[in-house]
Amino acid sequence: MKAISLIAVLLAGIALVYTTSDFPAWGDPESPASLHVSNLYIEQSYEKTHTPNVVTSVLADFRGFDTMFETIVVFTAAMACFFILRRSREECVLEHYYYRHIATGLVVRMPGACATPTQGAFEQIDSDWTPQDIVVSTVCRLLIPFMQIYAFYVLAHGHYSPGGGFQAGVVMAASYLLLALSHDLRFVIARFSERLMHILAAAGVTIYVGTGFIALTTGANFLDYGGLAGLLRMPLASGHSLGILLVETGVALTVCSALIMIFKLVSSQGTINEGL
Amino acid sequence: MIIDIVVITFVVMGLVLFSVGTLGILRLPDAYTRMHAAGKLDTLGSICLLFGLALWQGRHFDLAHLIVAAKILLILVFVSFASPTATHDMVDAGMRAGIIPWRKGDKRR
Repeated sequence: MKAISLIAVLLAGIALVYTTSDFPAWGDPESPASLHVSNLYIEQSYEKTHTPNVVTSVLADFRGFDTMFETIVVFTAAMACFFILRRSREECVLEHYYYRHIATGLVVRMPGACATPTQGAFEQIDSDWTPQDIVVSTVCRLLIPFMQIYAFYVLAHGHYSPGGGFQAGVVMAASYLLLALSHDLRFVIARFSERLMHILAAAGVTIYVGTGFIALTTGANFLDYGGLAGLLRMPLASGHSLGILLVETGVALTVCSALIMIFKLVSSQGTINEGL
Repeated sequence: MIIDIVVITFVVMGLVLFSVGTLGILRLPDAYTRMHAAGKLDTLGSICLLFGLALWQGRHFDLAHLIVAAKILLILVFVSFASPTATHDMVDAGMRAGIIPWRKGDKRR
């Protein structure tokens, strides 16, 4: 069996290497990829969009609609996850929950108690709770602030460097996932509630589409950020970078909250109560 | 000239450490020993590699290059915190899940 799979892998590898001989040469101006619009993107990117980075100008200007609908797809995925996975608050998944008396450390088992409000002297703990691992939680406490600053850095430099909204949102979401891994799920929900997540996910899409409509009101095309410059009486380049910053902020908000939402729902079997 | 040799030494050292780490992941008998190889050698390998690259950037000694070198050193600090912690956490999770460590004479897992 091993020999057969080795031969199969070798044959597939040879076939792949063989097909590369049909590819156009590296940097060939006659290759199909560089015949259509890419020349226009490269030659006229700066004077048409006033963005110093071609990747961003393609992402946010030439293919603004594409990016907008990508953001809407992310939002839709989060919503689909929510509607399919989320259970009602009254429904019990486990038959019992555990509560710890904070002062004495005694653990109480509550059979049939669904998501009893935790307040006062008791705090809810996970059913497979073990004492907090100090190495992981300390290192996470050290690293998470820097991760979040880095997310904002990536977001704010969106129009200068490749990347921007999607990457910033993912880094931001990763910092919250790290918090969930190093503490527990409720710890994150206390800081980033479900309601806030939904509002931010919707707000991100609204900011993106709204930026497009603001440009429309000044007589420019939909998502033509030059319109913002006319509205605020600023140079065209500043209008463009402001528009891209707004759009990237919208993307980052949607991506960040959608990722956290999907993580919470999947890891807690839809209860947002106890997971991992 | 000297700095070239130092940079090449660091980068080659990093690459050798990465290869040995990969060899360890492939050849060692169970999850804990593999984690040991991956955690230790990948951390030291990335430290060597990134330090070599930072030196290569710092050889010009003007502001633009030094900023890039400082950024690479920041990545180095991040990796040297994050990588051992990730290894520790995975080994910890394995212990909590009840995976028994491999002993001499046991079958390879």
